[in-house]
Amino acid sequence: MAFFRYKSNLYPLVAVASALLIMVFGLVMARTVACSYFLLGAFVWLFIFGCRKQCLKVLPAYIVVGGIFTLVAYYAAGRNADAALAMANRFGSVFLALVPGMSIDAVAMTRNLSQLHMPRSVTLGMLITMSFVPVLRAEIKRVREAMKTRGAGSILNPKIFYRAFLIPLVTRLAEISDTLALSIETRGFTLGKSKYTVYKKESINVFDILYLFGLVAGVVLACVL
Amino acid sequence: MTDDRREIAVAELIANAEEEQSRAREQAAGSSARSGKREKIFGKYKIKDIVFLAIITACTLVTGAVMPLLVNVPLFGIIQLGLGLQFSLFPVIGMMKVRKPFALLLQSVFISIFLVFMFPPMVLIVVCALVAEALTLLIFRGYKNDRACVFAGTLYMPLTIPLLYMYYNLFYTVSGEEQAAVSMFLGGGNVGLIIGITVAVIAVCFAGSLIGMVIARELKKAGKLK
Repeated sequence: MAFFRYKSNLYPLVAVASALLIMVFGLVMARTVACSYFLLGAFVWLFIFGCRKQCLKVLPAYIVVGGIFTLVAYYAAGRNADAALAMANRFGSVFLALVPGMSIDAVAMTRNLSQLHMPRSVTLGMLITMSFVPVLRAEIKRVREAMKTRGAGSILNPKIFYRAFLIPLVTRLAEISDTLALSIETRGFTLGKSKYTVYKKESINVFDILYLFGLVAGVVLACVL
Repeated sequence: MTDDRREIAVAELIANAEEEQSRAREQAAGSSARSGKREKIFGKYKIKDIVFLAIITACTLVTGAVMPLLVNVPLFGIIQLGLGLQFSLFPVIGMMKVRKPFALLLQSVFISIFLVFMFPPMVLIVVCALVAEALTLLIFRGYKNDRACVFAGTLYMPLTIPLLYMYYNLFYTVSGEEQAAVSMFLGGGNVGLIIGITVAVIAVCFAGSLIGMVIARELKKAGKLK
């Protein structure tokens, strides 16, 4: 029955496949109006299938960055609307492809890859890389605050950047890495060929299939109409 | 008489002990040389290696977050120019800490899942890492030498240029009727420009690798990068 149960997140590999589909189709068909309709439809589709927050996060960034580049393309090509449309579509596809990626939970992705018998070193590395970004941001903020407190000077000065920012940051990362490795080892994680089970299995659902089917239908419609 | 005998016995015991010790030392040296030879090139990965490589990859990822913006700028080699420094500096630190073959390949595998969402053709970076690793192993026989790390770090990003060149050639012939973009990207068929940008990318990556090496050396000196 889990196959028919509603769930708010996409199956990780379906999310990866949909991101690929949106980006490749969007880039290849960038100069057509049909591509704009497809991207609009995909946006709504993602909004419906549990990526509401991510869609709302990406939209302002797309409007600002995509808008600037679209204007640049418009004037650079001698007030050519086609060039502007192509640029807007390209940026649209790139930003929209980020949405399913942002919706993937790092743990869900790791579970999914473990189910597919990916090497444990790879799944562990991916999990850490995915979940470490917020920690890294916090560390960067901390190092910058320390710079301000000590009155180290402008970060734009290469010498200050190297001595007061880069070295403390990498030092801190090395320390975090040692602590994290120790913590993982004490929890019984091994890289060997020992047997393991996946605590909560990720399974494909009717909503994932419907989501993917809708995107493929959108691609077909954009090509045919 | 008894004192002489005792002295002789003590001397014999000492000699015997020394002989045993030297034999044990020889055996230990022999076995470590054998295992050293085995682990010289292909060392076994530990959890701390994977964790450090993953963390350093997160740094590469965060600093390379401008990629989605750069991919749409139709200028030859813009991605490599914009990301060359980050994609050489951090991988070199990773390689200088771990110093095992496939350290670069692992970093590229960890980052590839994110590149699918940012710019799928850049997933080819895994192939580039494999080529860079193969060349480094052929020339330097491992990462024991700092120069090997710098060499691999310098090659890593520039190797994506020919792959992306092929991709863009295909892509723009399909979707690019706006001639300005095509001529800008291909450099109007200007071979000199292409060579110039390729050299610039290699120079940026070399500088990044050198900075990475200097940072790693400094941290090693401070005992932070064991």
